[in-house]
Amino acid sequence: MTFGLSKDQIGVTESQIDTFGELIFQLSHNVQDRRGDPVRRKDFTDYERQRAGFGMSDAEIAERIGLSKAQVTAIRNIVERRKVRTTTYYRLNELGGGKRFRADEFVAPEDRPAPSGKALALRTALQFDPDRTRHYVGQCWWGNDTLGGWLQRHAGERPDHEAVAWDGGTLSYAELEKQVATVAAGLRGLGIGSGDVVAVQLPNTADCLVAYLAIAAAGAVMTTIYMPYRTDEIRPLLAHSGARAFVCPPQLDDFSPPQAVLSLKDDLALLEHVITVGGAVDGCIAFDALKSPDGKRTTAVDPPVAADPFLLLYTSGTTASPKGVPLNYHTMLSNARLGAPEHGFTANDRLLSAAPFGHLFGLYSIHLALAVGATMVLLPAFSPPGLVQTLTALKPTGLFAAPAHIAACLGMGLLDDADLSSLKLAILSGAQVPPDLARAFDGMLPNGSVSQLWGMTELQAGTYTRPGDSLDVVAGSAGRASPGAEIRVVDENNTPLPAGEEGELQVRGVHLFSGYFDNPGANAAAFTDDGWFRTGDLAVVDGQGNMTLTGRSKDIINRGGVKFNPLDIERLLDQHPRVAQSAIVPVPDDVLGERACVFVVPGEGDPVTLEELCAYLLENGIAKTKLPERLEFIDAMPLTATRKIIKGRLKPSR
Amino acid sequence: MAQAGASGRRGQSIDPHEAKEAVLGYCLKKGALAAGVADLDAINRIAPPGHRPADLMPRVKSVIALGVGGQTQGAWTVPAKAMAYFGSTETRAYTVAYGLSFFIENRFKARSIYCPPDLDNEEGPRVPLQSLKLHAELAGIGARSLAGDILLHPEFGYMYFASVFTELELPPDEPMQTNPCPAPSCVDLFRKQGQTPCMKFCPAQCLSGDIDEHGQQAAMHYEMSKCAELSEQYEALPRILSAAMAAEDAAAREDVLSDVDNSMFWYKMSVGSGGLLAQCFECMRVCPIATRSPLADPIRRAEAREAAANQDGTA
Repeated sequence: MTFGLSKDQIGVTESQIDTFGELIFQLSHNVQDRRGDPVRRKDFTDYERQRAGFGMSDAEIAERIGLSKAQVTAIRNIVERRKVRTTTYYRLNELGGGKRFRADEFVAPEDRPAPSGKALALRTALQFDPDRTRHYVGQCWWGNDTLGGWLQRHAGERPDHEAVAWDGGTLSYAELEKQVATVAAGLRGLGIGSGDVVAVQLPNTADCLVAYLAIAAAGAVMTTIYMPYRTDEIRPLLAHSGARAFVCPPQLDDFSPPQAVLSLKDDLALLEHVITVGGAVDGCIAFDALKSPDGKRTTAVDPPVAADPFLLLYTSGTTASPKGVPLNYHTMLSNARLGAPEHGFTANDRLLSAAPFGHLFGLYSIHLALAVGATMVLLPAFSPPGLVQTLTALKPTGLFAAPAHIAACLGMGLLDDADLSSLKLAILSGAQVPPDLARAFDGMLPNGSVSQLWGMTELQAGTYTRPGDSLDVVAGSAGRASPGAEIRVVDENNTPLPAGEEGELQVRGVHLFSGYFDNPGANAAAFTDDGWFRTGDLAVVDGQGNMTLTGRSKDIINRGGVKFNPLDIERLLDQHPRVAQSAIVPVPDDVLGERACVFVVPGEGDPVTLEELCAYLLENGIAKTKLPERLEFIDAMPLTATRKIIKGRLKPSR
Repeated sequence: MAQAGASGRRGQSIDPHEAKEAVLGYCLKKGALAAGVADLDAINRIAPPGHRPADLMPRVKSVIALGVGGQTQGAWTVPAKAMAYFGSTETRAYTVAYGLSFFIENRFKARSIYCPPDLDNEEGPRVPLQSLKLHAELAGIGARSLAGDILLHPEFGYMYFASVFTELELPPDEPMQTNPCPAPSCVDLFRKQGQTPCMKFCPAQCLSGDIDEHGQQAAMHYEMSKCAELSEQYEALPRILSAAMAAEDAAAREDVLSDVDNSMFWYKMSVGSGGLLAQCFECMRVCPIATRSPLADPIRRAEAREAAANQDGTA
């Protein structure tokens, strides 16, 4: 209605709107042009020439173009409604107080991409108990820590402090932050945004670190692919995670990750980009291009917050297929922030991880370093000489390693004369630490000590010994619960057991994930009704809270009602000279329910017999009811990427 | 130019220059930073029909423009969304103008009006009934800038303006000799980046223009439609309601109505309703008590006061 008249009454049609709409809009006060200063100069001739540019009233426009005033008003009103938005007040929300509007950095809300369905599903998976959330926030355990926030803080406070050091180079915090921001902008330019998954198969290089932090800064989620994985292992992980990009080196020995993944693209609907680090490959994006200084540095539209997912890791899968573990900053970074002072780390420390960054233990070293602004010392790929060389040359103060790493160095005698004086703490994790190894290595550290840590993909650092703990505690246990976390040992009825009794280890706390991704079956079995996570590990907790793993609950053998954990037996068998490696699994039995079957990788000499093994075990105090009743030889144990035996694949021949 | 020996409504002889001095003195005393008299002939040459002073006040002889300070220095430092609440500063100008019209009627017995600053919506998008900007520019208290023709003053910077129309003849002032816009630093930025600061940092990106080789304004381009997206928020209300009506379901409808940005409009509507709505006055215009009671007319009130004073003096 215009002046009480309908469009029909005043003769306005859609064709008329199409014909005159833009012209009327331009002639109206909606668009104004002035040349020079005719009003101030009272140059009426010039003003008359420019009158249309100054903006004309509807009556003037009507006179000018040959429509009625009512028609002009009606058309102008309709065109304004169609062209002019009115809900732009939000543009002011971030301005003022020294901050100005920058057109080149502004992204209108309607232009911001919505997270993909997969990204939203990841967020949906992060459902925590509201009461525990309130508790964690109330205790200031959960705050708004993000990797990007930590990096920016350190770059701002101590820009020249060494952030990364490796054999051949260093990066200051300012340099690292700049590279990360550039690559993050590059990723966003590829359409990688909030909640999108980026798969990374890289060694522990500076580029890997930059990629990780850039993925996080872009609001995306990193999923790691273990370095030994090949096409068959990579495919299901990319499919399940819904990865939109894959970052990898051009070549790994005789395997080309980019070529392998490019060949999978037809099967992986969500995968869009393959990014190669350290070389160009046809059909792929070079990581160096994302690192280009010409790359535009822009601020993320929605910088990540602590509740956001930033990691999607997969369990190593000792008993079943790998399960996706979505992790947010709240859990992982609170675990690191609270853990750093427990380990005694400060900004002056230099942390070296022999563990791959594809494993959460390796990432924990990054999280700890960034929590305090320490230096991250890099060892691209573990080798015993490489580790010792890095320890000697780059002088780390903190070492994160698996017992196997240290055992290999010890076995080669590389540590005997090595200068380990810089080390103040060596954290061993990833597998049960043999007490003798812990003692031996501890004795080699003139200015430091060994710590034993137990963790899982689902919770990062669960328990650890602290500097100052006695060597007996360090060698014999994985220490006490990390800050903000609780552990308990329960029987098969979920009843907590007193100190010293063996049972299933359960955990809850600030570090605990909320559930497996897209796996309701696993989630139903993983948690108790009151929120404790069933680790599947058998453990004993002593009176001081120190936890010692004793085995896996799924490895328990139930022989006619007599249940026993085969771990001690396996340890004994592994010391037999004619056994290279052993694993005991249950086999179904009509009479007893289950019997023990031992799989053996032959060692030196003639193959050992079952009778010889049983005699050996009896000599070493093993009860007769726990003796294996079948023997199977195997060339090599099926192993996870983290070198754990996949017992589920050990099937006795019939 | 006002004529010497001009008279007020009641026939007293008034010196236009003295009257002007008194009028401008009143403005400054009441808080205006600058005041002047615009050339009525020039206004009539520039303002389109329907928007000339006589269209509002048939016997108008002078147009007085005054400006009050825009913001305190502190206000420029606060967040933009907080500064938006300082927008009512212009009411101080209106208050001075309102008082001035009473002052003129009281002192000079010449009919005066405070010029309504409102829009004449039937005439075009955001077209005012009268251009206060034109009055102020011709009165020499501001010059058009590259920032959408906002007036600037070399001494007082950014001001809010108000106008008074009166039947009192006053000698007009001339526009400012020089235009303070663009400032030398703005010229420098324009030479480097092709934009002055106002153009570069405008949240709606509605400004562009050109500067000549002498550092003077060569062209100003202002897309008021874009500016209005941000600043003329009253236009949002029907669109919010329209979006709500078009929403797919109840939840989406509630999202539209309760959107945080939109809720700002409801707030402003609520806060402003007392002053912005129900301002018709026609009932009062026709009410004999309201307009013709013995002292309803300010001029009569003044005459009554003077008569009372004279009587006391005689006694």
